[in-house]
Amino acid sequence: MATAMKRDQFNTQSLGVPLNTMVKEARILMVGAGGIGCELLKNLVLAGFGEIHIVDLDTIDLSNLNRQFLFRHEHIKKSKALVAKDAAHKFNPNVKLEAYMANIKDSQFNVDWFKGFTMIFNALDNLDARRHVNKMCIAAGIPLIESGTTGFNGQVQVIKKGVSACYDCTPKETPKSFPVCTIRSTPSQPIHCIVWGKSYLLSEIFGASEDDSPEMDHSEDSENAEEIEKLRQEAQALKKIREAMGTESFAQLLFDKVYKDDVIRLRSMEEMWKTRRPPESLDENAEEIEKLRQEAQALKKIREAMGTESFAQLLFDKVYKDDVIRLRSMEEMWKTRRPPESLEYATVIFVTAGANLRSIVFGIETKSRFDIKQMAGNIIPAIATTNAIVAGLCVLQSFKVLRGEFSSTKETFLTPFAQERLLASDKSRPPNPDCPVCSVAQTRVLVDMSRATLGDLVEDFLKMELGYGEEIVVNHGNNLLYDVDETENLGKKLSELGIKGDSFLTIVDEDEEHENGPRVNLILNVQESASPEEKPIKSLDIAPATNGEVPGSPIPRRKKEVKEGPQSNGHSTNGPSAPVNGGSATKRTATEAFENGDETPSAKKAKTLSNGADNEVIEIIDNDGSILIEDD
Amino acid sequence: MTEVITDPTPPILHGPSDKEKKYDRQLRLWAASGQQALEDAHILLLNSGSGAVGVETLKNLVLPGIGQFTIADAGVVTEADLGVNFFLDEDSLGNSRAECCVKLLQELNPDVKGHWLPLQETLTVQKVLKNDAKYTLIIYTYPIEETDLDFVQEYSIKHKVPVISVHSSGFYSYFRTYLPGNFPIVDTHPDSTATTDLRLLTPWEELSKFSSELTGDIDNLSAHEHGHLPYLVILLHFLEKWKAEHRSLPSTYKEKTAFRSLVTAGARTDNPEGGEENFDEAAAAVLKTISAPTLSSSVKAVFDYEPNELEAKSNFWIIASAVKQFYEKHKQLPLPGSVPDMKAQSTVYVRLQNIYKKKARQDVAEVLSTVRAHPGGKDVDETEVESFCKNAAFIKLIHGSEANPESIKTLTKSEAENDANAEMTMMPLSLLPIYLSLHATSHMSTASSSDILATIDQVYPDASTTPRYVEISQEVARAKGGELHNISALTGGMVAQEVIKIITKQYIPIDNTCIFDGITSRTQVLRI
Repeated sequence: MATAMKRDQFNTQSLGVPLNTMVKEARILMVGAGGIGCELLKNLVLAGFGEIHIVDLDTIDLSNLNRQFLFRHEHIKKSKALVAKDAAHKFNPNVKLEAYMANIKDSQFNVDWFKGFTMIFNALDNLDARRHVNKMCIAAGIPLIESGTTGFNGQVQVIKKGVSACYDCTPKETPKSFPVCTIRSTPSQPIHCIVWGKSYLLSEIFGASEDDSPEMDHSEDSENAEEIEKLRQEAQALKKIREAMGTESFAQLLFDKVYKDDVIRLRSMEEMWKTRRPPESLDENAEEIEKLRQEAQALKKIREAMGTESFAQLLFDKVYKDDVIRLRSMEEMWKTRRPPESLEYATVIFVTAGANLRSIVFGIETKSRFDIKQMAGNIIPAIATTNAIVAGLCVLQSFKVLRGEFSSTKETFLTPFAQERLLASDKSRPPNPDCPVCSVAQTRVLVDMSRATLGDLVEDFLKMELGYGEEIVVNHGNNLLYDVDETENLGKKLSELGIKGDSFLTIVDEDEEHENGPRVNLILNVQESASPEEKPIKSLDIAPATNGEVPGSPIPRRKKEVKEGPQSNGHSTNGPSAPVNGGSATKRTATEAFENGDETPSAKKAKTLSNGADNEVIEIIDNDGSILIEDD
Repeated sequence: MTEVITDPTPPILHGPSDKEKKYDRQLRLWAASGQQALEDAHILLLNSGSGAVGVETLKNLVLPGIGQFTIADAGVVTEADLGVNFFLDEDSLGNSRAECCVKLLQELNPDVKGHWLPLQETLTVQKVLKNDAKYTLIIYTYPIEETDLDFVQEYSIKHKVPVISVHSSGFYSYFRTYLPGNFPIVDTHPDSTATTDLRLLTPWEELSKFSSELTGDIDNLSAHEHGHLPYLVILLHFLEKWKAEHRSLPSTYKEKTAFRSLVTAGARTDNPEGGEENFDEAAAAVLKTISAPTLSSSVKAVFDYEPNELEAKSNFWIIASAVKQFYEKHKQLPLPGSVPDMKAQSTVYVRLQNIYKKKARQDVAEVLSTVRAHPGGKDVDETEVESFCKNAAFIKLIHGSEANPESIKTLTKSEAENDANAEMTMMPLSLLPIYLSLHATSHMSTASSSDILATIDQVYPDASTTPRYVEISQEVARAKGGELHNISALTGGMVAQEVIKIITKQYIPIDNTCIFDGITSRTQVLRI
């Protein structure tokens, strides 16, 4: 091409040659090719980043097209990653693009694979995957640019192990769950009826059992054993009705069961209704329904049809005859995917009708179909503009990361309703010294899977080589493999305990008696190796202690005062209202501390825990604020 | 079934249309009314310079389904364009930039219609704007000829069309909105916690009756009933008590604190919990809900404003005057009618909700009858009146921005004073120097740092000797008007957001200039 101006003329002009060269040589991983992902990919491609890998498991849906501009109508049901790659390639053929239609949690994407990138961008929409990538980036020591949007709000954060706070340094809100009895017996809010419609009625009739639903909280089950057993029988009976599906009487059977028989049974438990309004089965409730009919437009339609003989038939036949095939295929989807982002239309009708009828039974306000879809599907509003802004901010941060200027990276928030702080940027926060993900010691271990036992790990590796004492716990995910009282696994091979290459094990030190407190948690990243001559387990990153208990043990300790131990009792703030939720209390204070920003210059000092300098670690905690706030 | 409804044909349950599905995630922000406004709009982009920021803005408007857009641009696509503009490819080289961008933008959304106008000697900006009033909003980018700017302003004033100017160069950008005349907004989307209006100090008869019915025999209520009195009924009960004793309502902070203690003391503590949750709720709500209704300054501004003859004929001002009459008569605004969630027996809560809803409907009916009595009020839609009444406490009027050469001097001075104290007050530095430096290159993108400073000196004589001004002008000179795609994409996101607010008349648009500094990832909004 004989044109005088080069393609990257403006980039060279503004970035300068050295940075522009770094950009061209960078190898980037982008996780997620949705709303932020499309914007980000466009920006990265035009900024001239040399090589970009894209991972996304998802396929394209019609509701994506209002913002995910790399996709067209004809791409619906195709892979986001692959279509995005093809679309972006056209606009800068010099960039090397690689796409994977895969789950980022797949084992092919191991720590070594992550290590091959200059930096990683998260453009995800769910907590679980964000946490995973965060963990992998911490393990690999690769910088991560994390971002997210909700409606007009958005946020960008640079995560670098040991330098800035990681994704899990502040506890995240977990999805709401409800006790089983609230959902099945004593609902008091529309959301209870909606969860019932979705996680019980819909699931029992068309899908998996409610026990698998993450919205069901079984922690109080033992207190209500008798009622739980009754409910189990009720669900069994419902399953029988499910077998009648396809027969003439199915819909009537189902309707009579859930809105009459079950309600009458529930009502007969007088104990339960001493302090609550008892439920009224639907045929007793005609007057109330009539009143509500005038209130709620959505209910009106259902109610009108309900007066007719054929109502139940119609409602369920529609779902059964017309849509059952699609519903069944959805059932498959739910097994392999993250919880559904939105519910298909037939499902929404079913859940709306189911939930609103139940609301009438319990005298609860009914909701419109639009609202119920949002409440049941956890739908988050999303628009192109916010994604464009956030993606732009991500790339700005990436320039600082490329230059290694982590001290000047910013955490930026979009606060669209405060004119003076539309884009508010704060200094990056330092890592939280209590963070279970980044403020831990990490090492890779070479394990000969053919012979290594849990005993080898505990006795030979942890105690002899790393100098651990007796009081230790070994966890694999949520599974406890070993502690002082749980010794029966010691003789088993690690492979028999479900551990494979790239598994993560967490070692918790419970030696509260030690003068400097227990060690920080240790994360072992298992690497397979066959080495018949050497020891079955060998550390790749930590030199073994010379022998036994050595003062210079490589895993640092934390001081006792730091721990929010259970021994500090008699300090509950909220009176006797029993289960003081420690988790939510810390969450609140953490958020407050977060909102207060990190203007204090003293919080700037960045530390790694690996040098084991205990006093310094404590200093940070004193400055952290979150603990101070909790005191008042 | 106890009741049989005569109509035997059940309604057909329609699924959402494809359009509703496609726009689902945004309908949750601006609803069908906002979407309709977008679909009725036609945006004109006068594009120039390296041309990316305007096109990025349009991308964010085409995706959510703007009705039509037109790009007027004299540019012919070069290699450098390909590096900064995503909506051009190798095949575009040598062709009209307006045409190529429109074609690729249109691919994003088949519901949107795009037009292009390749500007040239025979098709000038003047000609483009001369024809008719078909554009809803105009966006122009810098650099732009001074004479063309005049045509844009003329069009804006004549047809009451909002204009947004956008300037992106290197790591800096700004955009500025010009609203013609006054711009009223009904649906400002206030924070949901701010919208609670329970009228506890001035309960109407039905509410008082309901409350005393529940609390008439408060000491002999069963533990369950007592523990499930809705908190607002508790507050009403104790307000009566307070009034009987003090002959006035609690108004000062001290009185309110005393009143709170009175409420707290009303809780029964002889139960296993040692207290009652509904009384806790009541005590917590005292400071927030026990206050005389005051008119916010933004509503006052609406009431005080005297619309001119033309404005007075619009639905907004007809309803506003009816609401004002309502306010003058009742000393309060129409009741919004929603009741927050609270501990209560479901049946009681539903009754309470109905009492509030009924009153809200009565208030709407009263305002509506005033509207109907107005000469132009026959055709005002009832839902518009409803929505106005519901949002009455949060309506907002933004005054149009008239250019005033003196005000920029004052602003420059006050920002400089703030900066002088920045270290002490821990406030970030003003971004006004960025605006002024970019603005100095409005008509010609390549200018030296000293040219830029000389221009700024005309409004702020100290500029040439202020290091920050010198530094920023050097940065602007260095970029030579070249856009960074990333900065332009980000700016395009912000501009599109403002366009959506202005077109849907929802949320409060920026008043009136937003400056972005890509080096510190920061914005500042100033009224210039």
